[in-house]
Amino acid sequence: MRRRPGIGGLQNAAAARDQYRLLGENVAKLRTDLMKEQLATFRSQLEDFARKHKNDIRKNPAFRSQFHEMCAKVGVDPLASNKGFWAELLGIGDFYYELGVQIVDICLATRPHNGGLISLEELCKLLGQRRKGAREAVSQDDCLRAISKLKVLGNGFEVISLGKKKLVRSVPTELNKDHNEILELAQGQGYVTVDEVQRRLSWSSGRATDALETLLEEGLAMIDDGHKDGKRRYWFPCVSSVSSYTATDTI
Amino acid sequence: MQTLGEFKLPHFFNYPPYFTLQPVKDTREKQIQLWKELILDYCRTQKIFVVGLDEDFLLFSNPVIERSLSHEAREAFLSALVSEGRAEWLDKSHKRCLILWHRIQDWADLIISFVKDNGLEDSVMTVEEMRSGVESRGTELHGMDRTILMRALKHLEHKGKLVIFKGTSADDEGIKFSL
Repeated sequence: MRRRPGIGGLQNAAAARDQYRLLGENVAKLRTDLMKEQLATFRSQLEDFARKHKNDIRKNPAFRSQFHEMCAKVGVDPLASNKGFWAELLGIGDFYYELGVQIVDICLATRPHNGGLISLEELCKLLGQRRKGAREAVSQDDCLRAISKLKVLGNGFEVISLGKKKLVRSVPTELNKDHNEILELAQGQGYVTVDEVQRRLSWSSGRATDALETLLEEGLAMIDDGHKDGKRRYWFPCVSSVSSYTATDTI
Repeated sequence: MQTLGEFKLPHFFNYPPYFTLQPVKDTREKQIQLWKELILDYCRTQKIFVVGLDEDFLLFSNPVIERSLSHEAREAFLSALVSEGRAEWLDKSHKRCLILWHRIQDWADLIISFVKDNGLEDSVMTVEEMRSGVESRGTELHGMDRTILMRALKHLEHKGKLVIFKGTSADDEGIKFSL
């Protein structure tokens, strides 16, 4: 059967569309309400959780890191603002700002020695020594978090990954790929020679010398002409700090 | 960490590049700063007054890491001390260096308090007595270098606190205090 066109048919069609739209809106509203309710529940649960485990979050670095991970998964950033609920509840913002200030301090103080590049390990160790009096232990994860907060101050601080190791850079030096490869190579013994760089990375001697000279100029390397084989060694305090270096490493 | 007797060596003493004079200015300045402090500290605790550049001075080499300072580096570190008034070359060829862990002025102050503590304000004593006599035993003046002592005494003579005069024996001088 063929439907006849006519004014009644058109009106019917329009009415049906309206009905559908209304229904759709209702469903959407229902869903939004449900979602809002769920979110509210979730938030209160999270708050409850935070309140309940306040001390753990403050004092246990591993727990703190897991809490951060959980927050990140659900899109909550407890560090987003120093004001507001999270800061008041946990005082967690202040904790990281304090860490940030101490990290800047340590980076500046060790800069003459390491050229502004320090291993995360060393940084954490110094931070620990400095905060001896404080109640909370500080993990590498906390350091990284505090450093990420320092980014708002400009591009001064950056974390560089070298193989398994992480370095924190506090000078605006741009390290290119060649430099990174040398630093990675140096992690083994704390130093490299021109020969070694050429051999291990299959570079020309010019390329090796160039990169090493740049690192030297930037204050990231120190030369050592004292070995009895007469070969110049380039040491990198940022990968093998003076304090962690023990003489037995070379013997 | 290594120790030399009671003396605790700093970490950098075991880090080989610190035994090579660094070519880059900033790095070298830091290096020189560390060595200056070490030399002064060590000399003060061990009561060493004169360092010979070509002599066996314990700090100039570290057998543990098989490194020793070149002549150039030794001279650079000591010259840095000289330029700060914390050392003086004893000869033109820079072979021997007088280390002033107390500046001459500070030595002079020590002498003044020694004199006051012992009630010698207007007495007479010889230079040797001051260095090795009973009164100075236990003070920093005991066993101090004669050259530095004479310099400090001259400094005080200049200020009218004492008079140095030739004694009866040819190799010793007398001091008359007038505080």
